[in-house]
Amino acid sequence: MRILKIAFTISLSVLFLTQTKAGELIELKKSTSNKVVIKYMFNVGSMMDPEGKEGLSMLTASFISDGGSAQYTKSEIDDLLYPMAASYYASTDKEVTVFTFEVHRDFIDSFYDIAKGLLYTPAFDENDFNRIKSNQQNYVDQIIKASSDEEYSKMALEDLLFRGTSYQHMIMGTSSGVAAITLEDAKEFYEKYFTKDNLLIGIAGNYSGDFKNKLMEDMAQLPSLQVSLPDAPVVNMPDGLQIEIIEKENALGSAIYAGYPLDLTRADDDFAALMVANSWLGEHRKSYGQLYEKIRRTRSMNYGDYTYIEWYENGGRFQLPLAHVPRHSNYFSLWIRPVQIEIQLKSQYEELGSIEVGHAPFALRLAIREIDMLAKNGISKEDFELTKQFLRSYIKLFVQTTEKELGFLMDSHFYGRTNYISELDDLLAKLTVEDVNTVAKKYFQVENMFVCIVTDDSETAALSENLLNNKPSPMSYSNLVREGLSEDILNEDEEVSKYKLNVKSVDIIYSQDTFK
Amino acid sequence: MKILKILPLILLTLACAPGAKDGGQVDGVFPYTISQKALPNGLNVVTVPYESPGIASFYIIVRAGSREEVEQGKTGFAHFFEHMMFRGTDKYPTETYNEVLKSIGAAANANTWLDRTVYHMTGNAEMLDKMFEMEADRFQNLNYSVHGFKTEAGAVKGEYTKNYASPMMQLNEKTVDVAFDNHTYKHTTMGFWDDVVDMPNQYEYSLLFFDRFYRPEYSTILVVGDVTPDLVNNLAEKYFGNWERGSYVPDIPLEPEQTETRFAHIQNANFPPYISLNYKSPAFDPDSKESASLSVISQILFSQKSDLYKKLVIEERKCRYLGGGAMFTRDPYLFSIRSSLHKPEDLQTVKDEIEKSIQDLIDNGIDPKVLSDTKSHVKYDFATGLDSSSSIAEVLSYSIWATGDPEAFGKFFNLIETITVEDLQATAKKYFIPEHLTISTISPEEEGGVL
Repeated sequence: MRILKIAFTISLSVLFLTQTKAGELIELKKSTSNKVVIKYMFNVGSMMDPEGKEGLSMLTASFISDGGSAQYTKSEIDDLLYPMAASYYASTDKEVTVFTFEVHRDFIDSFYDIAKGLLYTPAFDENDFNRIKSNQQNYVDQIIKASSDEEYSKMALEDLLFRGTSYQHMIMGTSSGVAAITLEDAKEFYEKYFTKDNLLIGIAGNYSGDFKNKLMEDMAQLPSLQVSLPDAPVVNMPDGLQIEIIEKENALGSAIYAGYPLDLTRADDDFAALMVANSWLGEHRKSYGQLYEKIRRTRSMNYGDYTYIEWYENGGRFQLPLAHVPRHSNYFSLWIRPVQIEIQLKSQYEELGSIEVGHAPFALRLAIREIDMLAKNGISKEDFELTKQFLRSYIKLFVQTTEKELGFLMDSHFYGRTNYISELDDLLAKLTVEDVNTVAKKYFQVENMFVCIVTDDSETAALSENLLNNKPSPMSYSNLVREGLSEDILNEDEEVSKYKLNVKSVDIIYSQDTFK
Repeated sequence: MKILKILPLILLTLACAPGAKDGGQVDGVFPYTISQKALPNGLNVVTVPYESPGIASFYIIVRAGSREEVEQGKTGFAHFFEHMMFRGTDKYPTETYNEVLKSIGAAANANTWLDRTVYHMTGNAEMLDKMFEMEADRFQNLNYSVHGFKTEAGAVKGEYTKNYASPMMQLNEKTVDVAFDNHTYKHTTMGFWDDVVDMPNQYEYSLLFFDRFYRPEYSTILVVGDVTPDLVNNLAEKYFGNWERGSYVPDIPLEPEQTETRFAHIQNANFPPYISLNYKSPAFDPDSKESASLSVISQILFSQKSDLYKKLVIEERKCRYLGGGAMFTRDPYLFSIRSSLHKPEDLQTVKDEIEKSIQDLIDNGIDPKVLSDTKSHVKYDFATGLDSSSSIAEVLSYSIWATGDPEAFGKFFNLIETITVEDLQATAKKYFIPEHLTISTISPEEEGGVL
């Protein structure tokens, strides 16, 4: 086996973890960099949103990052920062909120004076509040349901998988939750959770020791945490396959997301082994995953098919994972990109005039059957070696920039690790195919799963009936494709079409009733 | 294999590179050294050494995109062909290609846009030889089956299907269809739905397409990262030296001058009201003060710092979002000003306010400090943005596809530094005229209703 010799970018840098009275600081000094990156990671996320105020943590973070400070209004800040081209933004997830500030080192002092005002003395201006809240409300009410059916089905899966827990609602909140949030709520939430002992600071790039000291001194002006932080929810495995079909008008295809709780995170050493098995099965946006190969390349059914063993932020947009979505409550997921629906297939191909349903049941059966086979049979030694080789190089691409490197280091801290990427590389190096197959058998299963399908209203009834009654779903190829398929593929299709899913329930939800 | 949505700002920011104040970097407009070598067959090879231990970004830019789709019924073909480039050769059938690609441990993909198709991989620099070998093989010896061709068409349809969920995508398709009469910019890179459905029947045409455009004179190789120019040039000669030059030159239809305002509208009650004003803009020219002025205008009039943004987004809250800029294209395209609104009844007001803001620039100019701040903004935005081999490769590939020259943005930068308030006024007066405007809207109403 060839050992790849990619040096960690950390070799260019000096990494420190400083323990302070108020909190902790992660430093990533890079003497050749032209910029400084500062990150404030608070242990507060949508999991802490009070009942009936879903979306509060996100709104509070946006209020800070997109509002003014005691000293400057939002527009004054825009004017001041304009010639510096400094950037700053907040990201909120289930358990953490991170503020990132990036600026050329020429401006670090003047920029920091403005930036710290946002964080330590936010203006909490009513006009800013109304503007930001209105946009968040609009996202929950309209944008998520009318922009990308794939992203919609992904959010709907979380709503189903975590139902009744603090993880259920979208980070952006719910319709009624956002509507109920007042300016006073945001202010109180800020005072309650944005505290010095609930904070990890990260600084990277080319900065002075004096600047670092100033950063730490300023942090001390934040209040102390007076409340205890809640635990992430523990989610039970569903009983059988529980399916929700979300019906909307004018959808051109069926977008599918499925998943089940996974009692494993980056904190566990077994994560590396599961990562190899998952990568082989459905590496994100790669053409060599098993699902991609069978559903897209061989059968031409959609644009791609992938699996995940942790949350992947905006997979439709990003080819590499982002930092700052660390979670204690984890799940496995399957993403089947939109497949054709019955009326579309009929309108395109005369020979498909008698089909009863579109491609969704077949695609779902095929994907679940592949997961099943992986759990039962494992992967071969050759596939293991190749996938391991791939991952040991690929994970280094997650941290190509200073900002991302710092972000992944701070996330490492969340999981009780020091440097996730380098530790993961060590774990991958030690793995054997037996390790991978043991872990795959332990964590992959197909009996119990939540499934969400966003589809056109014309497709709902037939899709629901097919799944609920476990009716065979023969693949409906156009003649153009069918005539070139091998016997092996057609035989496999036959198997797939009859593959039994352990369906226990199928519910139909109208789009207007989601995320209320 | 997505269709890239290009932010025009990237070009502006690239153009405004700072000097050598960033430790260890060289003097000049662009902070890294660009080496170029043209092979006898016309293939240009560009190398930019960059301190990214063990990592290299390997790009091939083919200057053929949906602009080159001149024949009737062939819209979307450049993009479809990009998919076919992953369907194997005799030496590397798809399965083998995928295995080798996987062994490189790279982030690899391709994307197509109006003026080009880009193939890229960022991965282990020690495997650069293998990257060259694989890419050279498929660029010269692509050999897919008829069945493989027909099958891949389904994936393109799947891509269209996922994109279609967005009303913005639907509106963009309609906008260019309305704004252009003859030029191939009339269709999006994804192509018209009917043509996408008909793709499986176009096998013969696909061979012609490959023969025409996958040629050294259309292509540039760009490598950024832990490499040397000697190494890259030697590999290019070894693997691409025998690539045969072609002779095809597409006859891109000329667009007649637009003589009156046009309208595109999507009725959708479940999406926030939206308006875009799309003015015909000139082809990108790194030596043109008009291109430079339009870049500066996009910042001054429509960025978050602009008076219009502060008025419509922050103070009056008529808009949720406002932004604008020109696409930097090989032929005249559109300068688009876009805004998402709270209420459909404000569509007309927002349109009027945008026009008023342009007229104010034409009549009264702007504070010279705003102009100098804008120049500073783009300079520093650039300086902090180029911090990985792939981000450098992305901006350089833009320079290459827009002009054929990786150094072109340097010239453009110098030009931006010279732009005066009078330049901005003259350019605005010439291009922002109602006869060259297409107004696009989304609202619950059947008609856009904006005049």
